[in-house]
Amino acid sequence: MADHFAAFSFVDRITEHEPGRRARGRYVVPADIAAFPPCLVAEAVGQLAAWVSMAHIGFRGRPVAALANETRFRSDVLPGNTLELAVEIESCDEHAVAYAGRASVDGAEAIELVDCLGPMLPVEEFDSPAALAARFELILADGAPPGRFHGVDAPRVTRTTGSAGASASASLLVPESAPFFGDHFPRRPVFPATLLLDAQIRFALEVAVDAMQWPADTRPVPSRMTHVKMRSFIPPGATLVIDAELAPRATEATLKLSARMNDKTVATARLEVVARKRENARAYQ
Amino acid sequence: MTQAKISGEEIAAVLPTVSATIADALGCDVEEVKPDASLIDDLDAESIDFLDMVFRLERAFKVKIPRGKIVENARGTLTEAEFEQNGIVTDVGLAQLKEYLSEVPAERFKTPTKVKDIPRLFTTTTFAKLVIAAQREAG
Repeated sequence: MADHFAAFSFVDRITEHEPGRRARGRYVVPADIAAFPPCLVAEAVGQLAAWVSMAHIGFRGRPVAALANETRFRSDVLPGNTLELAVEIESCDEHAVAYAGRASVDGAEAIELVDCLGPMLPVEEFDSPAALAARFELILADGAPPGRFHGVDAPRVTRTTGSAGASASASLLVPESAPFFGDHFPRRPVFPATLLLDAQIRFALEVAVDAMQWPADTRPVPSRMTHVKMRSFIPPGATLVIDAELAPRATEATLKLSARMNDKTVATARLEVVARKRENARAYQ
Repeated sequence: MTQAKISGEEIAAVLPTVSATIADALGCDVEEVKPDASLIDDLDAESIDFLDMVFRLERAFKVKIPRGKIVENARGTLTEAEFEQNGIVTDVGLAQLKEYLSEVPAERFKTPTKVKDIPRLFTTTTFAKLVIAAQREAG
């Protein structure tokens, strides 16, 4: 269980907690990892909301990623940064948690999540309720020791159709095993939705680079992601087909993203990308 | 839904926004979202879409729609045992269901009706009625 609360856990400490309503927290991004992509920043915000909601219903249920109506990407987070996390719980009961949240670094907003909803599932299916409750007490009190995250390897993505067109497909191989499966989740390993979204964003940016002329010294970066909907759990070892369909507009573009597993759509989202100076676009170099 | 009758005028007033919201949630054209369209059979909605639609309708109309209780509400004043036996809707339950879902064409009710298949009956108008019920609840 060395990976539990380590390999994919992004809240070190809860610094303010109004039960069932709101919380603030902190996460120190290890300085020795290669990168901390925006989707993991979003994951950290979602995890803080998950802690507040699980505690609110006595660790009988845990929310899973399902709907994120809007994610606004503001600025990159770098290894060594300290994330200041904040969530506002709009509603929380045995069925679902609805929340909004943000992450900042040194007062500068890195990401904002608006209108997110996670259905609650029985916690025993995924993790030990007692272990979760004990972890919550730890991060609410002294905080957990930082630095236990060692990065994640991006899943293998191979383009299968389209080279310079407005739409393209690729295969994505979910690893059979990885440290994050020990944390997400110990009793039922699931490929994290945020890692899928990260891979989809990277693929979408490739499509945008190939299909459009971008101003000199710039490259496309995500500015806003909307309509994120996760329809199914993705198990270890799954093979997905990911699609990106681009609608260009001058120096920006919108892409429709989807992921399929065994011909069934498992995730959909829309992504807006804009041109940004290369030196300010480090997260997706 | 509340027992007080919901009028056609009330439904007509909210239907355009309900249809647009459902279209946005399902990523389809609003023209496809007809008032009597079965959300599952005609528009391919899944359980996560129902959650999404309710979430969006709450924002669009600034109301609170109880999640996970649509089927429970369909029972009305009947007890669970009166409404269903071993996952099959009883005769008295079916009569209650037809009254609750009065907008659904009669031929769509199967005999026997399984409880798990009740969401197949839900239409765009069903969700319009949910919104109106929530608006009444909010006063």
